[in-house]
Amino acid sequence: MTTSRPAEFEDEKLVTLAQKGQREAFEVLVERYKQKAYRIAFDFTRDREEAKDLSQEAFLRAFTHLQSFDLRAGFYTWFYRILVNLCLDYRRRRGRIAWESFDEKTHMAGGQSEMAGAISSPDREAMSGEISRRVGEALQALPAKQRTAFILKNHQGLSIHDIAKVMQSAEGTIKVHLHRAVATLRQKLAELV
Amino acid sequence: MAQDNDLIRRACKEFEQDLVLYYYGERGREESKELENHLEGCGSCRQFLADLRRLLPLTVKPDDPPQPFWENYSKEMQERLAAIAQRGRWWRDLASLFRPWPVPALATALVLILALTLTFGKRIWRSQDLPPDEEAVLEILPMAENLDFFKAMDLLDSMDLLEDTGGPGNGSV
Ligand SMILES: [Zn+2]
Repeated sequence: MTTSRPAEFEDEKLVTLAQKGQREAFEVLVERYKQKAYRIAFDFTRDREEAKDLSQEAFLRAFTHLQSFDLRAGFYTWFYRILVNLCLDYRRRRGRIAWESFDEKTHMAGGQSEMAGAISSPDREAMSGEISRRVGEALQALPAKQRTAFILKNHQGLSIHDIAKVMQSAEGTIKVHLHRAVATLRQKLAELV
Repeated sequence: MAQDNDLIRRACKEFEQDLVLYYYGERGREESKELENHLEGCGSCRQFLADLRRLLPLTVKPDDPPQPFWENYSKEMQERLAAIAQRGRWWRDLASLFRPWPVPALATALVLILALTLTFGKRIWRSQDLPPDEEAVLEILPMAENLDFFKAMDLLDSMDLLEDTGGPGNGSV
């Protein structure tokens, strides 16, 4: 109710408090961004546990390097950059992403998936699983920059302007990455569906 | 590939990127109008846009973890953050142990050690098998922190390396 509740503080104030050693302030930031962070990690990993680990790791890195964070920059942008870099690094380290476990886990998610909800027959379900696998492969085959720009736009809904900030790149470059990614995916997916 | 081209017509080259941006709502009113005018008379571009509307949503697979997942997430984070904070305190306590030691003596010893290292190289340094004295510990602590820091920065910079846009980059992530 009052502005003395940390949950209502702006990012900047929370970062300042966390920099002064108030861990609880950082925990508020975690609560504020954990779902977004998890989702972006999930878009890259397509694995629930991996996404959790990866997004948590991003928070921990942000926490340990909080002193080097420039308050003039937005926490969100700074944090997302750490996270996206971790996601890229994760893929490089793992080589292959556990696409197979993805469908299983999505189906275990409690039927909230619109796709799972719309498809009931086993045939359709198998087909949707196959499509999902092929989509995963198509995404994985994209060059890292194209995939990143695509996921940030298509999955996360970030503006070109924000993607450019996160990827530390020019907006024109992001548009080219996005265009190439979409053109490739359209080509590959049109053969499937 | 020829088969692909037969099946999937490309949009007009000069409009394709605009169509992608239009699909994502990244075109202004004027640009959109211009594009819509073109779409009225161009089947290939209409097909391209229709394909995006049909296919791109398929690339997003929703995942909706249950509430216990998020509760567990927060709990784990609190524990991991507490562990880091605890570790930080431990390092500070350790460093404080050496604080009362005479600073000039430490500085002199440090300079001597550095001079020896630079003069005789790593092998001699190692063969002497010096006991881990306080100077070394004090030197290693910030170094270890820096290593960790640079490791993280490498990671952050990996994006820069991937990007080929040039520009000086101010280094402040
Ligand atoms: Zn056209």
